[in-house]
Amino acid sequence: MYGITIFALLLMVANYLISGMFMQEIGKVSVDLALSAVTFSGLLLVFFVGINLISKDFDRKTIYMVLSRPISRTQYIWGKFLGMAMLIISAMVIMSIFAAISIVMLKWTYPDYFARFSWMLVLLALTLTTLMLILVSALSFLFASFSSTSFIALILTIISYVIGTSIREIKALVEAPQAAGIQVSPFILKVVNAAYYLFPNVSLFDIKTQAAHGIHLSASYLFWVIAYGTGYIIITILLAGFLFRKREFP
Amino acid sequence: MKYRGFLPVMALALLIPMHILALSRIGEEQKRLPVSDESAPVITGPVVRLTALGNEGLVSDFLFLKAVVFYGGTFERKGRPRITPGEWKWLYNILTASTDADPYFLDPYYFAAGVLTWDSHLIREANELLEKGTRYRDWDWKMPFFLGFNYFYFLQDNNKASEYMMEASRREGSGRVISTLASRLAYEGNRTENAIYFLREILKNTDDPSIKNEYTFRINALETILSLEQAVEKYKKKYGSTPRDLHKLVEREIIPALPRDPYGGEFYLDQQGNVKTTSDLASMSSRR
Repeated sequence: MYGITIFALLLMVANYLISGMFMQEIGKVSVDLALSAVTFSGLLLVFFVGINLISKDFDRKTIYMVLSRPISRTQYIWGKFLGMAMLIISAMVIMSIFAAISIVMLKWTYPDYFARFSWMLVLLALTLTTLMLILVSALSFLFASFSSTSFIALILTIISYVIGTSIREIKALVEAPQAAGIQVSPFILKVVNAAYYLFPNVSLFDIKTQAAHGIHLSASYLFWVIAYGTGYIIITILLAGFLFRKREFP
Repeated sequence: MKYRGFLPVMALALLIPMHILALSRIGEEQKRLPVSDESAPVITGPVVRLTALGNEGLVSDFLFLKAVVFYGGTFERKGRPRITPGEWKWLYNILTASTDADPYFLDPYYFAAGVLTWDSHLIREANELLEKGTRYRDWDWKMPFFLGFNYFYFLQDNNKASEYMMEASRREGSGRVISTLASRLAYEGNRTENAIYFLREILKNTDDPSIKNEYTFRINALETILSLEQAVEKYKKKYGSTPRDLHKLVEREIIPALPRDPYGGEFYLDQQGNVKTTSDLASMSSRR
C-alpha cells in the first residue's frame, strides 16, 4: 500500500510536469497519462501481488495447513479471490484520488484547455479499468490453480493479457485481410476466432480515448461490457475452483 | 580492531567523488557520440496500435512530443537548410503515426497546420492530416478552418477553400468571422488582405507564445506587402501603367522608402505586376 501511495504521488507530479509541455489539448494529455499510469500500476499489483497470493501457499507448503481446516477448496479460492478484488478496488480508489488531484491541478492552471472534459467519463474509465483488473486477477487465479510454480502462472497471465489487448485488432485484420494486403488461411481464421472467445477481450474495457476526448458512450455499451466482464470473471473463478478441487498434492 | 569501521568509510569517501567524476565525464563523452538520425523510419499506425497494449493515447502523446522536441532543437542549428527534406518527411510520418494512434488528438494537427505548410511546403501532406482531423474531430471548427486557409493561400483554390470555410462556420464556436471569410473567398483577388484576416483569426485563438510569435511575424510581413500593393495601385491610377520595379515607387515619391522584408528577402515586382519577395515568406535565417 505504501508503494502504491508513493507511486501515485510520483504520477501526480509527473502528470503535472509532462502535460504542461503540450500546446493545445492539455486536458487530453493529462487524462491519458493519469489513466495509463493507474492501469499500469494496477496491472503490476495483479501480476505480482495477486499471483503470489495463491502460489506462495503452494511454494511454502502453507496450503496444507489451510486445507486441513474445515473449509472446502472452492471456498478457499473464492475467499482469496474476493480478498484480492477488494485489494484491487481499494488500491484503485487511492490511485484514482491522486490522479484526480493531478487533473484538478492542471485544470486549475490551464483552464482554457479543458473544453471537452467530463469527470463522468473519467470515472467510468476508472471503473471499467478496475473491472478489467479483477478479470485479469481471476485469470491469474485460474492459472495458479493448476500450475506448479508461481512463475508459470505469472507468464500465462501476462501472455493472456497481451493477447486480450490486441485480439480485437487482430480479428479485424484477419477478417479483412485485403485491407492490409496479406493472405490469411482459413485455419488461422479459425484459430483467431477461437482465441477471440477464449481470451478475455481486454480492449473492450479500455475507454481511455473516449474519456480523454469527452466522446459520448452509449448506455447499452456500458451494460454489455459490464455483463461480459462479470460473466467472464464468474466463469473463470468457477473453473479455477473446479480445477483446484481435482488437484492432487504430493 | 579500531580500524575496522574506518576502512569502509575511507573507501566510500574516495568512491563517491569518483562516481560523480565518472558520471560527469561519461556525460561529456556521450554528447560527442554520433546522434541518431532523425530521418530514421517511423513505426506505422497499425503496428503502433497493436503494440500500444491499450495505451494508444499515451503513445500518441509521446510521438507528438518527439516531433516537437526535434523541431524545437533545429532552431539551434547553424547550417542551411535548417531542416532537410528527409527530416520534414520524418516529421510528417511521425505526426501521421501519432494521429493513427489517437485520431482525436488536436495537437499534431495543429502543429502540422502551423509548421508543415509555411516552412516546408508540404501542403498536400498537411492537408491529408487536416482532412483526417476534420473527419474525426467533427465538433472542432479549427480543422476545416486550417484546411480552408491552406487551400486559399498555398494552393490558391478559392472554391475548395470557401467550401471548407462553410464547413467550419457550421461547427460550434466558429464565430461570425468565419462565415464572412467563406463568402469573401467567393470573390477573386484580395489575396493578401484575406490572408491577414485569416491569420488575425488564428492569432486570436492562440495562447502558445511561440506560435503567437510565428503568426505575428507573418502578419507583419503580409501587412508590408499589402502596403506595397496599395502603393502600386496608387501608381497605376496616377500614371496609367504598372511601375517597372518597386524603386520607381520611391522615385515618384509614392512611398518614402522600400520596406524591409522581415524574413530577410527583398521585395520585387514580377511580370504580372504582383508584389513578391525573394524570401517567399519562409525564414531565410534563424530569427529567434
